[in-house]
Amino acid sequence: MMELFFKPKSVAVIGASGTPGKLGYVIVNNIVGSDFSGDVYPVNPKSDEILGYKVYKSITEIPAEVDLVVTALPTPKLTVATMEECAKKGVKAVIIESAGFSEMGGDGKIFQQQIVDIAKKNDIRVMGPNCSGIVSRDIVTSIYPMTKKVARGNVVLLGQSGLLAAGMASDIVENESLNINKVCSFGNKCDVNENDLLEYFGNEDDVDVISMYLETVSDGRNLTRIAKKVAAEKPVIFLSGGRTEAGARAAMSHTGSIASNAKIVEAAVKQTGMIMADDFTELKDFAKVFSTQPLPKGNRIAVITLAGSVGVNVSDLCASHGLELPKLAPETTDKLKDMFDTPVSNPVDLYFSVTKIGFTKTLETTFPDAFKDANIDAAVIILAGFEYTQEAVQKKIIQKIVQEVGKPVVVCMIVGYNRYKNVIMDEMGKDLPVFPSLISGVKGLSKLCEYGIRQQKTKA
Amino acid sequence: MTTAQILSRAQEEKRTVLTEIEAKQILSEAGINCTPTVLASTKEQAVSISDEIGYPVVLKVSSVDITHKSDSGGVKVNLADKEAVKQAYDEIMTSCKAYAPDANIEGVAVQGMAKTGTEIIMGMIKDASFGPVVMFGLGGVLVEVLKDVSFRIVPIEKGDAVDMTSEIQGKKLLEGYRGQDPADVDCLRDMLVKLSDFVNVTPGIEEIDMNPVFAYKDGAVVVDARIILSS
Repeated sequence: MMELFFKPKSVAVIGASGTPGKLGYVIVNNIVGSDFSGDVYPVNPKSDEILGYKVYKSITEIPAEVDLVVTALPTPKLTVATMEECAKKGVKAVIIESAGFSEMGGDGKIFQQQIVDIAKKNDIRVMGPNCSGIVSRDIVTSIYPMTKKVARGNVVLLGQSGLLAAGMASDIVENESLNINKVCSFGNKCDVNENDLLEYFGNEDDVDVISMYLETVSDGRNLTRIAKKVAAEKPVIFLSGGRTEAGARAAMSHTGSIASNAKIVEAAVKQTGMIMADDFTELKDFAKVFSTQPLPKGNRIAVITLAGSVGVNVSDLCASHGLELPKLAPETTDKLKDMFDTPVSNPVDLYFSVTKIGFTKTLETTFPDAFKDANIDAAVIILAGFEYTQEAVQKKIIQKIVQEVGKPVVVCMIVGYNRYKNVIMDEMGKDLPVFPSLISGVKGLSKLCEYGIRQQKTKA
Repeated sequence: MTTAQILSRAQEEKRTVLTEIEAKQILSEAGINCTPTVLASTKEQAVSISDEIGYPVVLKVSSVDITHKSDSGGVKVNLADKEAVKQAYDEIMTSCKAYAPDANIEGVAVQGMAKTGTEIIMGMIKDASFGPVVMFGLGGVLVEVLKDVSFRIVPIEKGDAVDMTSEIQGKKLLEGYRGQDPADVDCLRDMLVKLSDFVNVTPGIEEIDMNPVFAYKDGAVVVDARIILSS
């Protein structure tokens, strides 16, 4: 059933428009800009042709089967009427992007219920209302213009947020900052909810990482069951909005008075093995780490730095995020004795090595020797955005070593000139997780280690 | 009475609150160890039951209408002999009738006086979205003030119970602190799994409190229990 949303063979856009800038135009233009190769049917009683497509007065007038209907109509009343038309036409999947439903309360709730009733009666699955639908290589239904083709990546972003498939998706697509497979915004989730999508993407082989934002949990018992199954196979990153400490119940028991919604959601996250994100940026950051890095076998970290103070700060952050900084093995210390003025320790301060053999050479030899150490599971690499880093970035030295060694890294960069820093963020950021702060890098890596250790335990 | 009988009787009587005796019977049937607790409808019964259980005993008022048993003067502990039981019985009746004149009092619950152990709270609530959820924490001040508890969604496995007892801040207190005996954590985990298994197959239960549970070096026992049914 979900296939009709993500891989339709034909799509009708209700409220399509020929006027650039209007929502009904953007949607059609986004579909045209995607790899969608099926039939496109714009519907608008007042137009004849939009972007080269013949326009139909109504859905029922379309001469062939319609897999998916996308609507962005100005009023809830018109949307309900469209649902009736969809039922007549035998359409089985509808994305309603318009707002003005249960999120408004009052009549909006009644209109939404009417949509649900029509959908149930006619076996129609509905995504939305109040959403921006799907962003993918195969089809884009978002009301936000995409400037490039969407990647065929391995990350799915799901959520109750229009921003997700709009501003956030277009940013990711334009900047290629995350190897996205699909973004799906499902708004008020009057029908299709997180459980449907989690189950669907859990079974999709080309999806390796799922990041999800929810403001309400539709069916927590099922979410717990499904998330546990999916998270055992692939990481599920979860940001929960609207968490409240207030016990939402007038409880007669002690237990009931303590059991707030926030605590129960937190328990479900721990129990299922999902990864809790604390803000929108982390939804992307963690997905970046998980989608580009192998899982570590443990939580023993090497901190690679050129500045002592930064190394100290990262060590502290590692400790408070459950990561360990072990000593390097004697073999490593011995091998590297000429590259350090005092025996190498952890954090690994490359400064002496750089003064001796230069930055590029240090990255090529000293860094991998420390990184390969048997006591080390992963590394935090701190770079600076100056001219001397440019060569290393252009030659993709770090990427190659990381690939070769097969252990995960995060790169942090807190100083540098923009003309170099931005290149590192953009260029290296396509292959590796690169963060503009130490804490975001450490936190991302700690989540990767947490998941890696959990996977090892359950697979053992 | 069996769990099914207790639940259907409560339903017939249109009440959502079970007595402590009923609650402990249900929990015992679920395999959870509770202090022996028997209803006495008269003073004479209270004495003979006390003789049977063995002194010292505790007397608690048994009434579905009185939920705050201590506040009503309905609890007398550490009763060492027949005389103490008789006197306690009279005092409870006088005090409770004054506290709640309209309350239907069926008698007193006579129970063995459990020796003090590490104080634990366990419980369950039904969440509108997640369904039954179980809770574990250290009792007394730690739960009242710090809310140092952990939750899991039912059904839980042994591994979840291990996580529940490990993630509370005060877990060191379970290991034995300042010469106190360590708590039988394994037994507590078993109790959590049994609680989860029980609520997973028993619809109609809204909330459960097992507070306190006393945990010893070997074993643990539910000292007070409350069950609220769905209306």
